[in-house]
Amino acid sequence: MRISTKLILFFCGVVTLFVLLAVALLAQTRTVSAGYDALLARQVRQAEEARVIQVSFKKQVQEWKDILLRGHTPDDLVKYTRQFHDEETAVRSGAEALAAGMQDAKSRDLLEQFVAAHKTMGEKYQAAYDAYVANGFDFKVADKMVRGQDRAPTDLFDQVVKRLNDEVVASVAAQERAVGRARNLALALSGGLLAGLGLVGFVTVRAILQRLGRLKAVSDRLAKADIEGLSVDISGPDEIGQFGDSMKGVHAAIEELMRLASAAGQA
Amino acid sequence: MAAKLNDFYKQAAQEFGLAGRIKLAMLTKISSEKAEAAEDSPENIRIFEQALAQLRAGG
Repeated sequence: MRISTKLILFFCGVVTLFVLLAVALLAQTRTVSAGYDALLARQVRQAEEARVIQVSFKKQVQEWKDILLRGHTPDDLVKYTRQFHDEETAVRSGAEALAAGMQDAKSRDLLEQFVAAHKTMGEKYQAAYDAYVANGFDFKVADKMVRGQDRAPTDLFDQVVKRLNDEVVASVAAQERAVGRARNLALALSGGLLAGLGLVGFVTVRAILQRLGRLKAVSDRLAKADIEGLSVDISGPDEIGQFGDSMKGVHAAIEELMRLASAAGQA
Repeated sequence: MAAKLNDFYKQAAQEFGLAGRIKLAMLTKISSEKAEAAEDSPENIRIFEQALAQLRAGG
């Protein structure tokens, strides 16, 4: 193979390798990005929605306490009752929507339990509210009726939030492991390919330099007309082989010239 | 002994003189001294025929 062809092939090999590495890295980046997008689109979003519902539930309980504390004033009673029901609706609809989109069966089951417990709690709060108003805003009566009633739904929802957070943490860890594996594979592949290409390049250049060295040695001896015992054994299909072939012609011509000169001298 | 190859050298000398011998050696890459020791193989004869033809063509 000609040296120029070897060099072109080597250059093409390097360019192809780097293009392939760039494509592989791009594909890897897209895979990682898609993995995190999926994580954000479902698990992180659901965990965030759960936290919002959790806060709304705490606000609902807070509104109930405001009713008991300040409900003796008509304006405050209307205000805090409305806010209590707003939060109650937000919690109920949020929990139902979250349960509907939940893939994890255990979390879905906990949410359904929460919705049922929250509904029961709402009925008890309504009864306590009615008693509170009927008894001249006596908060003691109402508080006694619902004391501790928010404990069960709170515990259920805390379990949902914890489970969703744990799922996000586990998914992030799995994603990081996948990224690590892909990174190591990319490093090993690119390192191996670069090392292989470097080895091929080194071997090729060394072979060319060795043959050039032999060609120079022949050329030096021909330049000095030192052809005694000279053998031009440089062949091959490349430029160096062709040059060596030409040197054989020069060598033969000098030999012929020397023989003729010697014969002329003897005559 | 390569009688035929020697004949090529004699032919080149007759037609083109000493320069013809040197050019024949250059084209065939076989000097007359080596030609004497070489075989009259079909391949060698073909090489010399081609070289002589090239000399005659002015190459």
